[in-house]
Amino acid sequence: MYNPRDIIEILAGNVRKTMSPFGVPKGMVNGWWKTEGLRQDEKTLLFTGLMYQFVPYIETATRQMERYEDTTWTAYLKYARYVPSTLSGLGLAMLTPAAEKEKAARHLRNIVKVLRASGTRFGYRPDLDEYSGILLYDLGDLDNFVRHARIVAEKLQKAGVRKIITTDPHTTYALKVLYPKYVGASFEVSPYFEALHLREGGAGKKITLHDPCFYGRYLELSNAPRRILGEIGFECVDVRESGLFTSCCGGPAESISPKLSSRIGSKRVQKLDATGEQIVTMCPICLNNLTRSGANVVDLSSILAGAQASASN
Amino acid sequence: MTGVNPEFVKRLEPLSADLGSACFNCGTCAAICPLISEHFPRKMIRYVQIGAQDRIMENARELWRCLHCGLCTQTCPRGANPGEVILTLKRYVTSVWRKS
Repeated sequence: MYNPRDIIEILAGNVRKTMSPFGVPKGMVNGWWKTEGLRQDEKTLLFTGLMYQFVPYIETATRQMERYEDTTWTAYLKYARYVPSTLSGLGLAMLTPAAEKEKAARHLRNIVKVLRASGTRFGYRPDLDEYSGILLYDLGDLDNFVRHARIVAEKLQKAGVRKIITTDPHTTYALKVLYPKYVGASFEVSPYFEALHLREGGAGKKITLHDPCFYGRYLELSNAPRRILGEIGFECVDVRESGLFTSCCGGPAESISPKLSSRIGSKRVQKLDATGEQIVTMCPICLNNLTRSGANVVDLSSILAGAQASASN
Repeated sequence: MTGVNPEFVKRLEPLSADLGSACFNCGTCAAICPLISEHFPRKMIRYVQIGAQDRIMENARELWRCLHCGLCTQTCPRGANPGEVILTLKRYVTSVWRKS
C-alpha cells in the first residue's frame, strides 16, 4: 500500500496545475471526437469527463505502481510531487501504448453511433469537456474537489449548458449529485443509455451485467441498461450481487494499492464468471479493472453499437 | 492506554453531516465490506463515537483501503451511512496532515 497522503498531494497538485489528475495535457488525451463530425451548437451536450480517455494512462500508472508496491521504493513516491506535473504527464503518455488509447476512443465513438442510431440530438464541445474531479472527492480532498468543480461548472454555465449526456458513472454522479450539493451548479444530467430507442439486434443472446457502484447503488440506475438491452433482444442473466447490491470491481483502490484492487477485482470476476455468459459493463474503471483481474468483459457501448450494425445488415 | 476526547465529533461536524451517531455497532458493515478486514469500518465508527482520535490517526492509512462502494451504507440497519462516515474521516485526516 502506498501512503495516501503522497497520492492525494500528487493528484491534487496535478489537478490544480493541469486540470487533470495525471498531468497529461488535454490535447494529448482527448482527440477521439475529431473524426466524428459532431455539432457544437446543440442544446444538449455530450460530456465525457475524460474518464474513458484517462483509462489507458491509469492502467500504465497502475502497472508501474504494482511493481513497486510494498517495496523499499514505495517510500520514495512522496518526491514525485516535486516533479513538474506536465513533465510526469508527458512521461506517462509516452509509456502508454497507442493501441490502448485507440481502444478507449472506440468506446466513445460507439456511444456516438448509438446516440445517433437512437435519433438523439446532441452536440460536443471539446473545450468544455473537462475532468469532473471525482477522484479528489473519493480520496477525501474536499477542498480541492470543490475548487476544481467550481471551475468546470462555471465554464459550463457561462456557455449556457443545461442538459448533459454523460458516458460514465463517476462523472454522472459528480454532475448529478455532487455539483449541486457542493458548488450549487445544477444541470439536467442523464447517462447515454437512459433514453435510447434502438432497433432489435440482440437475437436472444445472453449477457451478464456488472453494475458499477455509482450506477447500480448511488444513482439507482441499474434498470436503464437492462431495459434497453431487453428491448433490442438481449437476455440479462444477473448474479445475486447486482443492482442496489452490486459488488465493487476494486478499481477505486488502484491509486493507493494496486494489489488490493486486483484482489477485490478477482473476487468479483469469480462471481460474474459463474453465469458463463458474456460480461458487460458501462464504466471505464470497472472495464479496466475487471479486465486486469482476468475477466472477458466488454463495454455496453460495443454491445449496443454491434447490435445496431447487425440490425442494419 | 487510549485517551478519549468527548468533543472530537465537533471537529468533524464542519466536514460532513455523516458522523455515525445512529450506529449501534452491530457489525453488518464489517460483514458486508468487500475488504473483509478486522472489523472495518465498524471499528472506525466506534472510535468516532467514543472520541478516540489518537486511534483514528494511528490507523489513518486504513481509511484509504475503503473503496467507497457504498455497500455498507446500503445494508446498514440503522441508516448510519458507514461509508460516508469513512469519507468524513478521510477529510478530517487529510486536513490534519495538511496542517502538520
